[in-house]
Amino acid sequence: MRKRLPYLLIAPSVVVLLSLVLYPMGFALINSFYFWNLQTSPTPLFFSGWDNYRMVFQTTPFVEALTNTLLLSFVGTFVQFWLGMAIALLLNSHLRGMTVTRAILIMPTTVAPVVVGFLFRYLMEPQGGVLPWLLTGIGLTPPPQGLLGSASTALLSIGIADTWQWTPFFAIVLYAGLIAVPEELKDAARVDGASGLAMFWRITLPLLRPVAAFLVMIRFMQLFNSFDLVFVLTGGGPGTASRTLSFNLYREGLVNYNIGLTAAMTWLVVIIVTIIINLYIFFIFRKREW
Amino acid sequence: MRLTNLQKAIIYALTLLVLLLFIGPIFWFMLLAFRHPSDTYVLPPQIFFQPTLQSFETTFVDPGNNAPQLVNSLIVSTGATLLSLPFSLSAAYALSRFNMRGKSFILNWYVSLLIAPPIIFIIPFFILMTRIGWAGTYQAMIVMLQTITIPFSVWLLKSFMDDVPYDLEEAALVDGANRWLAFWRVTLPLALPGIIVTSMFAFVFSWNNVLFPLVLSRQTTATLPVGTISFFASTGVYWNQIAATAVVAMLPPMIIFLILGRYVVRGLTFGAVKG
Repeated sequence: MRKRLPYLLIAPSVVVLLSLVLYPMGFALINSFYFWNLQTSPTPLFFSGWDNYRMVFQTTPFVEALTNTLLLSFVGTFVQFWLGMAIALLLNSHLRGMTVTRAILIMPTTVAPVVVGFLFRYLMEPQGGVLPWLLTGIGLTPPPQGLLGSASTALLSIGIADTWQWTPFFAIVLYAGLIAVPEELKDAARVDGASGLAMFWRITLPLLRPVAAFLVMIRFMQLFNSFDLVFVLTGGGPGTASRTLSFNLYREGLVNYNIGLTAAMTWLVVIIVTIIINLYIFFIFRKREW
Repeated sequence: MRLTNLQKAIIYALTLLVLLLFIGPIFWFMLLAFRHPSDTYVLPPQIFFQPTLQSFETTFVDPGNNAPQLVNSLIVSTGATLLSLPFSLSAAYALSRFNMRGKSFILNWYVSLLIAPPIIFIIPFFILMTRIGWAGTYQAMIVMLQTITIPFSVWLLKSFMDDVPYDLEEAALVDGANRWLAFWRVTLPLALPGIIVTSMFAFVFSWNNVLFPLVLSRQTTATLPVGTISFFASTGVYWNQIAATAVVAMLPPMIIFLILGRYVVRGLTFGAVKG
């Protein structure tokens, strides 16, 4: 009994979650081998072998969506981390007013991503938006179709909106990590004649590593799953210029109702996500259990 | 380390710039909700103007299409939070109090659910819900949200329970209490602040979620974020009304985070950073 008790206590949550996750996974696996469009039939029509997997590449911009998603995730995480770090260092200056600043800075993080989408759509309106007005003011005329309507700036605009929302989050959490760096360590380094920059690279950054590794993984995956911002800001457009994997799945599954094709794409995405997470764990977490 | 006045001035200037960049847009959008429709676009930007409550009146009073959505948001978020509590409490207790085989695997498995793309679960689920007649119901959204609220709450609750010394519980066990009584009378009351904090986060995550309600709700059960989106589908873009609904949708999470104060870092990192 004593040995079984912990498992019994965990079981209900695992059962609920497994049924919420395994059902969709199994459903997708089976239907990825069937031709099925929900508009023409309520049930799968016929077995089609690997056709759906081929069609993912032929009829949807899968590779483009994957490239967009990876670009958004890598660049977004990188920029947000270092901008956040810079702000965290400002907060860590121990000057008067920084506590209040930290408290206010949480605001963007609390806003629903879909609202952030509307906020930036308003700011980026080609006629009357503040951002194009500012850009024109400093001599950078935005494209005539608008920042969101132009293929060259659509994905960038999504990245900017996400960066606006999550940079303060990085700042606040990294700041919490900075406070935890023991003063004695810094004093000792200072006595040894270390410069500010050397102290940052040799002492502060290694001590922040566990926090940073966790943050970067969570944020990378949230960016990888980007849907809300894409939905509101660009709808994946113009054309397919700013489609992400999640949005591509949404379009095929819940707009075109190609269930078989979506199922195949689901499994491709599952495989990609599994590879990314395992690579990350291998390179970042291999030294410690977490 | 002593800072010169010049260094201080630079730090303050940069801090002001940071606040302007990251808080400014929120205020700009909030102001939009109080503008006259004719002033939607005013350039150069105007901060002072004659405010009006017209947009709030249209969206929440007369005809007030968004008022029921506010109630729906409350129902769905509260429901998702309450439903997840018994599941996550018992799992968090077990993971905090017992040494068992596969513990880190189980913990990692919960995280893997939190970082998996939610879109891959929702499409098959949408078809299942349609088949069993749950499409468009509150319970469909509440159940689906458990993929977020349960794993998140398990992690955060575990971190809070780890803070409650096991000795206290053992003392109660020695005094003859059974495990349930020891949990109910000792650990639970001491972990209560953590449970409240966790619930508040779970509520905010459910409140801000848009993908699940977007797919699983119908017009009568649509939540506030979905309601905001529906402005787009209709004839034109009514920016003032979008902003009015958005402001109402923004307020509860902001107030909750304000109350949470020093727990914010801990919650947002699933308890991994104590803050």
